[in-house]
Amino acid sequence: MSKPKVSSDWLAGCAGCHMSLLDMDERILQVLELAELRSTPITDFKEPDVTGVDVGVLEGGISNTYNEEVAHKMRSRCKTLVALGDCAVFGGIPAMRNFFTIEEALRRAYVETPSTDESGKIPSDPELAVPTKVRALSEIVPVDVFVPGCPPDADVIFYVLSELAQGRKPELKDELLHWH
Amino acid sequence: MVNITIDGKQVSVPEGTTVLRAAENAGVVIPTLCDHKELAPYGGCRLCLVEVEGARTLQPSCTLPVTPNMVIHTATDKVKEARKFVLSLIFSERNHFCMFCQVSGGDCELQNSAYAEGMTHWPLQPNYTPFTVDASHPYFVIDNNRCILCRRCVRACGELIGNFTLGIEERGANSYLVADLGGPIGESTCVSCGTCVQVCPTGAIIDRQSAYNGREKDTTKVKTICTRCSIGCGMEVLTRDNRVVRIDGDWEASINHGLLCSIGRFEPLINDKERIPTALVAGTNGQKASTLDGAVKEAVSLIQTAEPAAALITDNASLEELSLFSQLFGGNSKVKTGVLGGNGFLQMEENVTFTSESSLSAVTNCDVVILIGADLAANHQVAGFMVKRQLPTGSKMIMLSDAKNGFSANADAVLDTSKGLELALKELIHGIKDESASPAKYLVNAKSVGIIVGETAGSGDFSVQSGLIKDLSETLVKSGKATYILSLKGGANGSALRQFGLNHSMDLNGVKTVILFQGEDTVDQKMIQKLNSIPNLVVIGSYNSNLAARAKVVIPASTWWETSGTYMNIEKKLQESQLITRSTDDIISMQDTLSIFGKHLGIELNADWQKRLISTTGRS
Repeated sequence: MSKPKVSSDWLAGCAGCHMSLLDMDERILQVLELAELRSTPITDFKEPDVTGVDVGVLEGGISNTYNEEVAHKMRSRCKTLVALGDCAVFGGIPAMRNFFTIEEALRRAYVETPSTDESGKIPSDPELAVPTKVRALSEIVPVDVFVPGCPPDADVIFYVLSELAQGRKPELKDELLHWH
Repeated sequence: MVNITIDGKQVSVPEGTTVLRAAENAGVVIPTLCDHKELAPYGGCRLCLVEVEGARTLQPSCTLPVTPNMVIHTATDKVKEARKFVLSLIFSERNHFCMFCQVSGGDCELQNSAYAEGMTHWPLQPNYTPFTVDASHPYFVIDNNRCILCRRCVRACGELIGNFTLGIEERGANSYLVADLGGPIGESTCVSCGTCVQVCPTGAIIDRQSAYNGREKDTTKVKTICTRCSIGCGMEVLTRDNRVVRIDGDWEASINHGLLCSIGRFEPLINDKERIPTALVAGTNGQKASTLDGAVKEAVSLIQTAEPAAALITDNASLEELSLFSQLFGGNSKVKTGVLGGNGFLQMEENVTFTSESSLSAVTNCDVVILIGADLAANHQVAGFMVKRQLPTGSKMIMLSDAKNGFSANADAVLDTSKGLELALKELIHGIKDESASPAKYLVNAKSVGIIVGETAGSGDFSVQSGLIKDLSETLVKSGKATYILSLKGGANGSALRQFGLNHSMDLNGVKTVILFQGEDTVDQKMIQKLNSIPNLVVIGSYNSNLAARAKVVIPASTWWETSGTYMNIEKKLQESQLITRSTDDIISMQDTLSIFGKHLGIELNADWQKRLISTTGRS
């Protein structure tokens, strides 16, 4: 039997969950023995195989139309979708901007910050993705496994990946379950 | 007794017990958020839903009284499903994102409940309506976005403190916490007791000092007592790296049941007074640093050469310290002894033998409470909370006080004492016999009366006043009322002063040397004026002051949490104050300083203070 294929990508997050994945140190070799890592944002292949993968991992919330596209692509190409980290599970830190309008948030980011001069302009190129309200991944596509944590511990990620690689659905509880 | 079955366990509980409390007795854990042991059942959060056989729907266990042969299930799939649903609704209502919350990671009851149910996510997302954040209070911040509307704070403010500052405005999902009629909490009628902060299950009310200073699990908790006044409230001090992070009330403490006032809870943490770091001895060119031993030696030579001398000690000193002090100076005819903060009340206590003194709870749980010269808004505030919270239940309060008393706004009747306490007492006693005159009308139908004798009582003729207070109590007893009496005793060890012979007044006229065991206490203006005329001053204190600046000898003293000691609380029970943080080596406790005094004065000190105590009511 061939090893299960795993792909990952990041959306509106801070990449911290992927850093936490690397934080499992040499145990990543054990994961690689069980699974075949296909595309990730930190390796050469950036998109999951057109022929599909077994496990798709997404970090970050959905903050614009591009994130939506990536989420839909990953969902359509993977059998099991994992929402990794608080941003993917709940919306997380980027969701703080939901308490303001998009216009307010953009003005704050591009015009009002101390580091922008008076000519600060909100980008409006038609090729850019359109910002939306920040949503959890599960509001866009069905999610199979939720892994909360900001970030989830390396131990948690190792447990989740090794369970999935062995064809089991991981169940997070007690020590492994935390949202902070 | 009522027999019920909870999760297959047979339990027998008294009639009127709620299912939740019955389950606790049986060792069955039912998760709750709005429930609190010290508060009346409320039924607000619905997390405690249980299945009762024969009932059409799930029932909230916190408000459901047991009935005979009730069969309750707390862990069925239906119950677990409902709990998750309730939590989902709560999480989706406001900003409950844990990653940017101060209490996340073990300190949040909402988060812990979700973990206990194994929730990995919320099926419903919030609608992101922003609510107000009120950061106008010096000690805590109210963030309505984190509020779950359990109303523990509102109930604590009313039920426990009797202050009714906090309330809820608007309805349903728009509800939010307000102070008074909606103004900022910092400008409200809030008395800063901090009980709301302690009972809040989420990060909606957070304490400024401990916020973002690490999680509760990273702190060390020590149960100790407050030594700011004679009540002796139990408290739990949280420390981290030899630093006090937060002070909570101890719910298990028998005297205060978790309540603290701002003096005990917040003020020790915002103390910015300058410490005395080392011993100083005045020479020709001002004060110079000295060894502790050298400083005490200098002080002793002042006592022996510049006679007559006087020694004063704070009534916040521990029993160990008071015992050593009375051994050192009590038997010396050339040294007068006295108490700093000692006031007329102390002399009065000498005259009135309050042999029938009651407990704080007995004296405050009466139909009528008579406050004699006590300002419970300024001092002994926890006793004030206990009096005030009875008022909405129909209790009446009669005050004998002057116009400056901050507590009089709560009184049903005030007898002005500006022309002397004696007159006011006579008027009250006369009124009781008359059964008509105000304010004695409140006493006519009262079955129980509590009398609290405060600190400012003894400002006139002590023997007359104490005689009148006795008369008052006897008159009440004769008219068939259960009468309880309790005196507030000033400082933390006010109860013990008399037992060490330190409850008498002292005349500083002609005194040339004063040894002032000040500790952390402040000295009032009247005393400062008296001390200013004393040529030789020795200050043993924690903080710099004008007195210390002009003293011949200054010896640093540790604060109450840098040492341990025994205290006699308002009910004359012995309690221990614990060592919480360590001071620098140059700062020692007054107890150690007193021992060094013993060495230089050539007096053999007996460390066994217990033998010197005349009476106590036991240990708390």
